[in-house]
Amino acid sequence: MSKGLFRISPGFEDVMPAEYKELVTNGPYGRDLGVKDLGTFKELIEEHPLCAGCAEALALRLILASLPSPEDTVIVGSTGCSSLLFTQVAVQNIHSLFGNQNAVATGLKRALRLRFPDKVKDVVVIAGDGATVDIGLDMVMQSWFRRELITTIMLDNEVYANTGGQESGMSPQGAVLYMAPLGKKFPKVNLPEIAREAGCAYVATISPALPRRLGKVVRRAILVAREIGPSYVQVFCPCPTNFKWPSAQVLQKIRDRQKEGIFKVREYVSPEAEAYLAGLEVERQHDEQE
Amino acid sequence: MTTQQVVAPEHLFFEAERERQFMTGSEAVREAIKRANVDMAISYPITPQSESMHLVGDIYAQGYLKEYFRGESEFAVMAAVAGAAMGGVRVFTATAGPGTLRAFEMFPTWAGARLPVVCAFMTRGVNSPLTIQPDTIEMAFLLDTGILMFHAENAQDLYDMILKAFVIAEQTDVHIPVGVFVDGFFVTHTREEVATAPADLKLPPYNPYSAPVPVMDMESVPVRQMRDPFVMKSNFISYAAHASWQQEILAAQERARKHVRRYLGGLLEAEHPEAAVLVVAAGTAVSQGREAVAAARREGLEVGLIKLKSLRPFPREEIRTLARQARALIVPEFNRVGWLAREIKSVVEDTTKVIDAPRVFGGMTMPPDLILAQIRRCCA
Amino acid sequence: MTNKSRTFIRMSGLGGQGVVTAAHILGVAAVKDGLKCVVNPFFGAEKRLAPAESYVRIAADEIWERGEVLFPNIIMIFHPHVITLGKCYTMPFFAGLQRGGKIIINSDRPLDLREEELAQLKELGAEVYYVPATQTAVEAGGTALSSNIAMLGALLAVEALVSPEAIRDAIAERFGGGKFVASGTTAALDDVLKSKFDRLAQLIEKNMAVVAAAQGRVSKHHY
Repeated sequence: MSKGLFRISPGFEDVMPAEYKELVTNGPYGRDLGVKDLGTFKELIEEHPLCAGCAEALALRLILASLPSPEDTVIVGSTGCSSLLFTQVAVQNIHSLFGNQNAVATGLKRALRLRFPDKVKDVVVIAGDGATVDIGLDMVMQSWFRRELITTIMLDNEVYANTGGQESGMSPQGAVLYMAPLGKKFPKVNLPEIAREAGCAYVATISPALPRRLGKVVRRAILVAREIGPSYVQVFCPCPTNFKWPSAQVLQKIRDRQKEGIFKVREYVSPEAEAYLAGLEVERQHDEQE
Repeated sequence: MTTQQVVAPEHLFFEAERERQFMTGSEAVREAIKRANVDMAISYPITPQSESMHLVGDIYAQGYLKEYFRGESEFAVMAAVAGAAMGGVRVFTATAGPGTLRAFEMFPTWAGARLPVVCAFMTRGVNSPLTIQPDTIEMAFLLDTGILMFHAENAQDLYDMILKAFVIAEQTDVHIPVGVFVDGFFVTHTREEVATAPADLKLPPYNPYSAPVPVMDMESVPVRQMRDPFVMKSNFISYAAHASWQQEILAAQERARKHVRRYLGGLLEAEHPEAAVLVVAAGTAVSQGREAVAAARREGLEVGLIKLKSLRPFPREEIRTLARQARALIVPEFNRVGWLAREIKSVVEDTTKVIDAPRVFGGMTMPPDLILAQIRRCCA
Repeated sequence: MTNKSRTFIRMSGLGGQGVVTAAHILGVAAVKDGLKCVVNPFFGAEKRLAPAESYVRIAADEIWERGEVLFPNIIMIFHPHVITLGKCYTMPFFAGLQRGGKIIINSDRPLDLREEELAQLKELGAEVYYVPATQTAVEAGGTALSSNIAMLGALLAVEALVSPEAIRDAIAERFGGGKFVASGTTAALDDVLKSKFDRLAQLIEKNMAVVAAAQGRVSKHHY
């Protein structure tokens, strides 16, 4: 999107909402901002309708602040808590159905490559654990097999939260949830390993308790998907509401889980992706020197 | 690949000199897509559709399309088609029977998202035990999904309707998907003469910015800034939003009528509409009906033939008017439930005039003699 | 609907014998001769040596109906097993035959038909013909793959539906032109057939020799 498009027509300044005017004057489009700059610019997300203390909402806020080119990014979401939040995000986003997000993203990415051969248009899938690992796993993996140039981000809140707290493939083993009245019988699905085997050039697990690291991971994932291959980021953000934790304790819970070794921060970068990212880094340093 | 020249749809449809060739319905799909300036096609195999999308793949390899691939299931294909359409390209796919049902959740979604997707449905039975035989039952399920539905009688119709479907679907005041339906095997695998425009002509490209909804390409300002996502909650704004949007899709179907009349020459075609007995049919049942009507008229019986081309929008007023002067409307169908007879009964004033027979299903060919027997009974 | 000015043909054979291809060639030839024609195969999975059928409707005037030919006036049996082993979805093999209809069977000797079948055929006034199509294809064309072409030759001998020139053009179009794209197993068989002949011209000439030879080798069954 050309930045010139994003302005208010003369005469309409006084009727536009304040937050919109702020986005025009101080939004992130074309400015190469990141997590470290939060607080200095108008964010893409305006408030949010999710629960108090929601780690997923925080994760999404960090993800949106880390998009390398928000002015040329289209997000594909899926049904779940996060779909409630996309209506308030100032990049174009698609909610199609539950589980088909990677198939929609496939068609979208290919269409945008046809229409804008000389421009980078990032297609980023952001969906919950149910959408990614249960109902949509087939389409998620098939998009990786086909080496679609899209980034898939799973918001792993470990439960079907939007429907009231049912077990998902990402729920911890033993967790007593709706539809698992005797506790979940099998461990969390190891999707990062599957992603690597299925052809992702970049795979990372991260949590919003590590905001700068999360920002770096998201950025690297999106850059790799521009040229090298599909990328996958799994964001650990368990649901305080359904696991019945006080709102203020979510980040501590995440840190505890990390300390216990239950949640691990990991990164896999394929050799091609590694070389590509190193090349970009050299370019960037060169630009900064100039 | 032939170098192609963009021409006005009217020229391609009505003015360009046509050449007659002996081909199957599947080949007619290829000939239509070759001239339709399609950007992307996405395929998935299912009998009796597969051959059509093989042939579309062949013309992709020759350079007539810019993108083509095999998806992983019909649901994924219809989802990918949606993504492509939202990204602003002209896109085509095709499926059949069980594939239609596998993908079903996507069809109202296409309509609701105002996507001008064109999809060919090569109808096939969906029952258990497994069948691959022709049956039009899936059409009954699709009637209220919001998509426009045209029913091709033969390979000629299939060629013409697919090309015209793009033009109708992409009208700004319509901009909803079109399903072009054709009886599997009876048309897809049958070889007959089809007249096609020269292959060096093609439709004008799709202009994504003619869409009544934003294209998902970040080339326009993103709309946002709802403070609470009302659409997922119980409140009157939510009810009003959903209800008015459903009405808007129906309104788009209504607005399509004038374009259907212009390009398809009417929602239906009537031969001897003044006759006391009318055979009213769609798809292959029309072909079998033509035989029966011709034989009956040779016997001196007063019978006419009504061919329904558009089922959505439904030729409501046209049928009501025709039914007024007729004594009986015979509705032959290739399915068990008789959905077309139900549709017709829902618009005529005197439903006792509608004879919902003969019907064959399970894959059998409908002998024209069965229709002739009904005509004789009604004329007696 | 059947009537005197229309020829409705049912071809029954085994998968791989080319019943669909024979129908295709006959249909193209009919159109080349200015006739109206509708051709369709049976509806089902194509499997080698499984029963296969195709249907051809030819007339001087418009034909609208499609699907299986239920009441043929010509039945072509491409393999004796269609009758002797019941390798056919239409039983008995002459089901639906119109009064005075014709049956052409690929066999180098008359088949041992059952008494009651012969009685029924006689009662129908059916004309039954035999032609050693496979043998003729091997002898005149050098390959059994041309058996279906031999069957077309036999058909021309029994009923001059189309001209030999049109058959020649149709064969050339089917195997030589870029127009026709065969799918799956049919494409594989096409390649085998083409590999049997050095050049397209030779393929056409050999097959036309098969047509001519088969025309001369048709014998009528006498009740």
